[in-house]
Formats: sequence, C-alpha cells, structure tokens
Amino acid sequence: MQNNNPLSPHLQIYKWHISSLLSITHRVVGVINYFALILICFWAISLFFGENFYQPFENILNTFFGKFLIISLCWTFSFQILNEIRHLAWDAGFGFDLKIAKITGVITLIGSFILTILFYLVGRNFF
Amino acid sequence: MHHSTKKWIFTKISSIILIPFMIWFLVSFVSIYDKGYLEIIDFFSSRLSKVLFSLLVVIAFFFYTLTISEIFEDYLHDEKTKNVANKVLNLFAIVVPILTLITIYNLN
Repeated sequence: MQNNNPLSPHLQIYKWHISSLLSITHRVVGVINYFALILICFWAISLFFGENFYQPFENILNTFFGKFLIISLCWTFSFQILNEIRHLAWDAGFGFDLKIAKITGVITLIGSFILTILFYLVGRNFF
Repeated sequence: MHHSTKKWIFTKISSIILIPFMIWFLVSFVSIYDKGYLEIIDFFSSRLSKVLFSLLVVIAFFFYTLTISEIFEDYLHDEKTKNVANKVLNLFAIVVPILTLITIYNLN
C-alpha cells in the first residue's frame, strides 16, 4: 500500500538548540534503553542455567567496563524519566513557552546527571 | 477512536506507569549487579522482587515496542522493510518477556 505520510527530514538541516538536542537524545536514549532491557532480560534468563553459565555476566559486571555500563544505564534511565515527565507536561498543555521550554530542557539535562549520582549512591547504600 | 490516537494514549499511560518501576529497578540493580550468583538468586527469591521485575519487563516492552515503531514510522521509507521491522519488534515483545517471566518464577 502506498503511504504518503511525510518522513522526518535529515538531522543535519537543523540548527542545534537545547530542544532539538534533547529531542534527538530522547530518541537515541529510548533505543539504547530498549537494547539495555533486552540485555537485562538475558541477564535474568542466564540465572536459570546455573552458576557456571552466569559466571561470564558476573565477571563482566565486576570490571571497570561493567561499572561504566551500570552508571551509563543510570544516566539513560534518568534522562528518559526526566524528559518523559517534560513531555507529559507538554501533553497537559504546560511549558510550551520558548523560554520555559529552554529552562526545562536545561533542568532535564543537568537533572539527569544529578539523578544518576543519586541512583548510584542510594543503590550502593551511601546514605 | 483512530488507531494512532489509541497508540498515543497507550504510549503515554505506559510511560507514566513505567517511571516508578524504572526507579525501583535501577536502585535494586545498582545494589546487586556485582554480587555473586547466590546473592542474585536470593534477590529474585523474594515475591516482591519477582512481581515488580515482571511488571517492569512487561510494561517496558509494551512501551518500547510502541515508541520504537514510531521511530520506524519516521525513518524507514520502504513499507516492506518497515513491516518486517515491526514484526520482529512485536515478536521480541512477546518472546523475551515470556522467557524472562518463566525464568524468574522457576528460580530456586
């Protein structure tokens, strides 16, 4: 069937602003989180096959790279949570003003790093 | 109601429901990721962990399947490629959560 819906233009024609930066980051982070979710499921499924089968997961997660993956996951989840709340506010009709949209964009970006640190510290029982 | 409107509403509702589950999982995962096999099994032996993890997996796959199909809609030009991509996406959204749920409810 012929679909005449217009397609999204290529990214390089846009002049970058905080809103466009967060918009494309939101999509990229969404895709990353989808693959992370699949990996998390494989991690859980691997437990079913016993300790020896689980060992490679344990080895990887105990390396510096493993810690990097976990902190990255904290950031991608944090960013998605905050930007999703921003989108929900827009859906409810709030925050459309250009100045407000820029401010909430900056809050989302900075907040995602703060939330990453908080999630990690709470998870590691630092409080 | 139009198909796209329904899809948009489902996406929004699932995104709201998903937030507390993401927070719970992240904090829990950070606390156990570097632990040994028996400690992870111990984590999943709790009924609360099983239920919360199951809900996270089901809701997250539902949400991501809807959002990624939107990305296909925006960036895949060829209808056949888009249909195949959506079918693979839907297949993953059924198979992976089922296997995960079977696993965590059968861990001893």
